[in-house]
Amino acid sequence: MSTHSPLRPRYLRLAPPALLALFAAAALPAQAATTYPLTVENCGVSVTFDQAPQRVVTIKSTATEMLLALGLEERIVGVGFQDGPAPPPWSDRAAALPVLAEKLPSQEVVLAAEPDLVYGGWESNFAADGAGERPALANLGIESYVSPAACRSADPGKLSFDAVFAEISEIGNIFDAAPAAEALIAEQRATLAAVTPDTRGLTALWYSSGTKAPYVGAGTGAPQMILEALGLTNIMAEVDDPWISSSWEAVADKEPDVIVLVDAVWNSADQKMRLLAENPVTSQLPAVVNQRYLVVPFPASEAGVRNAGAVVDMAAQLAALDLTP
Amino acid sequence: MTASRRLAAYAGLVALLLASLIISVALGPADLTPHEVWLTVGQHLGLPVTSPVSRLRDAIIWDLRLPRVVAAAAVGAGLALCGAVMQALTRNPLADPYLLGLSSGASLGAVTFLLLGASLWMPLGAFLGAGAAMALTLVMMNLLGGATPTRAILAGISVSALAAAATSFLIFWSATGDSYREILSWLMGSLSGVVWTEALLVLLALLVAGGPVLLAGRALDAFAFGDTAAASLGIDVGRLRIWLLAGTALLTGILVSIGGAIGFVGLIIPHLVRLGTGSRHRALLPLSMLTGAIFMIWTDAAARTLFAPRELPVGIITALLGAPIFLAVLLRYRRVT
Repeated sequence: MSTHSPLRPRYLRLAPPALLALFAAAALPAQAATTYPLTVENCGVSVTFDQAPQRVVTIKSTATEMLLALGLEERIVGVGFQDGPAPPPWSDRAAALPVLAEKLPSQEVVLAAEPDLVYGGWESNFAADGAGERPALANLGIESYVSPAACRSADPGKLSFDAVFAEISEIGNIFDAAPAAEALIAEQRATLAAVTPDTRGLTALWYSSGTKAPYVGAGTGAPQMILEALGLTNIMAEVDDPWISSSWEAVADKEPDVIVLVDAVWNSADQKMRLLAENPVTSQLPAVVNQRYLVVPFPASEAGVRNAGAVVDMAAQLAALDLTP
Repeated sequence: MTASRRLAAYAGLVALLLASLIISVALGPADLTPHEVWLTVGQHLGLPVTSPVSRLRDAIIWDLRLPRVVAAAAVGAGLALCGAVMQALTRNPLADPYLLGLSSGASLGAVTFLLLGASLWMPLGAFLGAGAAMALTLVMMNLLGGATPTRAILAGISVSALAAAATSFLIFWSATGDSYREILSWLMGSLSGVVWTEALLVLLALLVAGGPVLLAGRALDAFAFGDTAAASLGIDVGRLRIWLLAGTALLTGILVSIGGAIGFVGLIIPHLVRLGTGSRHRALLPLSMLTGAIFMIWTDAAARTLFAPRELPVGIITALLGAPIFLAVLLRYRRVT
């Protein structure tokens, strides 16, 4: 296996202007208004805003929740491909948003909402058979933005909370809502600072989906970031990818102390608990025998504004686990 | 091929198969020495040895690795047998076990069960799908005027296309979050997570459906010369073809239900063996089974160990190896004929 590669500060080489803008934003007083036109480098595409976006289509829960968290839901003209209902305190505001499609909306549906920005949680949302390719949207005067952590055409490197906060800051900048973004970042930093990482030296498996070949969180994505914040050692940490298809043998070999179960509408934590209990090998894992599970909602398991809250929530679950043999 | 050479081929392949079983069970992502693995297997088999490993590690060996290795061998043997029979029945060198729409039908059944939330029953869904596809193909073949190679192929192609379209539609309709990942691994063919009941089911199917098919070797030789020649040798061509198609379809249905649509094994192994033995089916069928079993054991061992702790669908490996081997076999044929 490849050894754990240190975090390469790729942005230093690739996007000095964006970095300078970030420093500039941090240095300015919180009330600073954004100067337009504003150009940001986003997943290998240069995106220019002449004014703050007024009509936004969000795809995937992470994108919608980002705008909800910044109080920008008035700008949303349509949502698509939501992974589940938004949690409190956003539930009511989220329920009022027009739904373009339960699944990935097609380009025509997106265009019919007449957006000036399409904000996607996955890069693959911008396909010809999805919301439309990014250059095609740009030709129609519609800007596009991919959650940087989900960028696959340029390696975003190992995810950190600083990278999550950089996305919040960038979105705040784009929408001329820097004060709200700075406030949110400060709040999340305080939230995280209040969490005491577990010191029991525990290992964990991040079980996302799959029955015969488990799909698990590996070394570079949101699962790794959250596990590190919790003070847990990811048993798949050495693999240089956000998620991988693994095998039960590899999992059983590492004997994780606790198992994180991703709770999705289409693949609930309960279903996964049943599978683990029925499989002849995983049913013998100490974590399964003693029901040492942490549950995380699917949208909080992808990079975004819910990660910090997930850490707090999971830390409480972890503290409540009795690990005396 | 002389009798002594044939005997040597049998002995060599059986020895190789046993060696493959013994060695490949010692390979895997878990940190276990071959010695520990063999002692554990030995203890389970009732030999006077004691396993030195913990209960969990015992389960890794006995409940994960061994059923998987056994299933790989059985699936490989079954696919090679079905491929050889299909090639003979249809007199088409491109025929494989999935010719009658079986893999597409099985995929449709498996995906349907998966989407209904019965992922544990996917093998049953796959088997029902394969059976339905086969029945539809046979009915269509009869509507077209009876069992001939061309009609079998044409009916199979249309049923395949129909089932594949239905599968694509279901996946499109239901793709929530990352649920497509499971389906994809199924469609590519994978032996991940095979349990003992599944491994024993494949072995049983190999005995029940494969046994009679093996006995039909001489009749299959007659098919090679055409339906008229076969009939003149006293063979009820239409009826035998239906029975053989049904037998291989039943077996293929069970194979697909356990391993998904693992490609190329049923296509290339018979060709590869034919290069050595000639096309007499009494030797071709059993030797293909042995070769298929060995091939599948090793490709599956590669699937579980090459990129550990990642797991690769074995269908990707069989296709990666199979396509070039097929080309090489074709080139060799050209030189021979």
